[in-house]
Amino acid sequence: MAIDKKTKLNLFKQRIQSVHVSAGITFSLFMYICLFFGIFAILLPYIKVWEKPSRHFAPIEITKINYSAMIDPVISAPDFPKNNIIVRLPGFMNEPALSISHQFTKAIFFNPSSMERIDDEGKQSRLALFLNHMHYGRPLGFLGKVFFGLISVGVLFLIIGGLIQVYLIKYGNKGKTKQRFFSKWHRKIFTWVFAPFILITLTGALMNVGLIGASPMAGILTNGKTTDIQAVVGPTLFPQPKAVPSLKEKAKMLPISQLIKKAQSIDSDINFQELRLINWNDKSAQIELKGYNPYMPFLNGIFNKPSIILSAVDASLIKHVDVMDRTWSMYVAESTFFLHFLFGVDIFTRLFITLLMLASTFAVGFAVSLYLEKKAKKFDGKIPFYHWMGKLSLAVIIGVIPATGLIFNLQWLLPFDMQDRVFWQQAIFFNFWLATLTWSFYRIESFKAAKEFLILGAVLFMFAPIVHFINSGFTPISLFVGQMKGILNVDISLFIFGLILLFVGLKLPKTREESKLIWNKKEERINSEK
Amino acid sequence: MIRKLYMDFSTPEKNGKKIGLFRTCCAIFGGLLLAFLAMTTLSFISPGTLGDKVVVPLLFNTFAYAIAAFWIIVAPSKLSALLRTIVPSIFFAVIILLFSKVL
Repeated sequence: MAIDKKTKLNLFKQRIQSVHVSAGITFSLFMYICLFFGIFAILLPYIKVWEKPSRHFAPIEITKINYSAMIDPVISAPDFPKNNIIVRLPGFMNEPALSISHQFTKAIFFNPSSMERIDDEGKQSRLALFLNHMHYGRPLGFLGKVFFGLISVGVLFLIIGGLIQVYLIKYGNKGKTKQRFFSKWHRKIFTWVFAPFILITLTGALMNVGLIGASPMAGILTNGKTTDIQAVVGPTLFPQPKAVPSLKEKAKMLPISQLIKKAQSIDSDINFQELRLINWNDKSAQIELKGYNPYMPFLNGIFNKPSIILSAVDASLIKHVDVMDRTWSMYVAESTFFLHFLFGVDIFTRLFITLLMLASTFAVGFAVSLYLEKKAKKFDGKIPFYHWMGKLSLAVIIGVIPATGLIFNLQWLLPFDMQDRVFWQQAIFFNFWLATLTWSFYRIESFKAAKEFLILGAVLFMFAPIVHFINSGFTPISLFVGQMKGILNVDISLFIFGLILLFVGLKLPKTREESKLIWNKKEERINSEK
Repeated sequence: MIRKLYMDFSTPEKNGKKIGLFRTCCAIFGGLLLAFLAMTTLSFISPGTLGDKVVVPLLFNTFAYAIAAFWIIVAPSKLSALLRTIVPSIFFAVIILLFSKVL
């Protein structure tokens, strides 16, 4: 039976809509979790400093540091390797400490102004890392990672379908009913942010499933020599430097701060992040300075790191790798990954991406609300709407806020030398989150439960900085005077976030009936204007 | 019976609201196969060194998966969903075989 074009198009429209709804509601809550914790992951560098007592000191300019006072004692230890020593400069990813490490040793941290060794909290403090792990399903191990990867493939699927829908179907933006509002803003926000959103989801999918799934591809391409895709792309994306033969002659090294100044005079655009010391204290000694060129975003920063190699004996230039010196595939990888990793970018770019992702969390929320609103309409006026998906969404979307507020409090409430500290912190977080699920099932009126979660979250987020001030021994004034504005800003942001939650929580209507009145009033106002 | 099954498969459903298990399976597994084969083919025809060749297919294989799954799931009839899975897959598989000189 042949069908004409119009019916075919209508069938197609129907199908993309129903696929979008069923796939959307399946993936929505997981996608929300990715986005919610992703926002904290964007702000990870700042939280990382806030969470650790050992990082509460003022940052310092990299050319004003006396490097040899810290590096010499470390590398003069007889068992410390002398070649390929990595020195991470303070300031990269907002880290105020300087670290000295080697492929085969643990990193040693220093306070670059006092030149004292830092007793790093290590595994006792993992708040930022945990929030980042929640972002991609790591707490559930390998399976969680693959699962979240498949979710992001699903999100790509939804983006494609959604874009086609917006293109093909004429949606009206008029009318002020609740459904119209949710539908309109879900569409609007995602049509605004879809371009960066695709890049971020794509790279997320690549890291969680793409790399694992590509092993047959590696096998086919190398005729079965290897199934490890990273062995195939590794030489292109992470070119390994050639080994420099040692001359076995002692020599005096130039001060590192002088070498940094020299490198800055060669290429003033690069923000240096990392040093590699080659054959140190030998006549053949070299120093490689790697960094990020902020004037060329999307072209460098993740894989492509512009670098300068100087001789450590006479500061002569040995090699200068510029941003544009790589092959084309590097730039493809770089520009797709750039928005996801945001290494080395400034706070404004981070905040901008945070805003985009925050808008997306709302767009996901609107979509779920739209779905539930359509379900609720069927029962309207007869029985109170009580749907498992509604309750689950309530606990996932709103319930996660007080749970996250709690984990920020616990970071400074639990003593840092406590046994299994991180385990307790995370266990309390998960149990609390689960408790919000039971609470939302217990409360028949979801609005009331949402109100309670928001106000509780507000109180917890406003308490977190206070707990931090009390238990760290730093007051806002001492943080400000001590040049630790980064830490102070985290405190202020947590407090403001709490205030916003409080405002929303207090403004939120108590019942579904009340919420309807608001929309009815809007509708009336529009009608009277007509 | 086969004729009846064929008719059932090749007739487009009147209602597009129901997706059905058959289409979903075709999209999930067939889409994966198709995307994987297409991307492997792309890696063979890309220029550059082995590392260069593999970067773009590697980056975009999940995106190709999503596109392939979407293309299959919106097929007008079950038969066309099946054909959309099989025909291009075989096409790409043959190209890969030719390139990798197994034949």
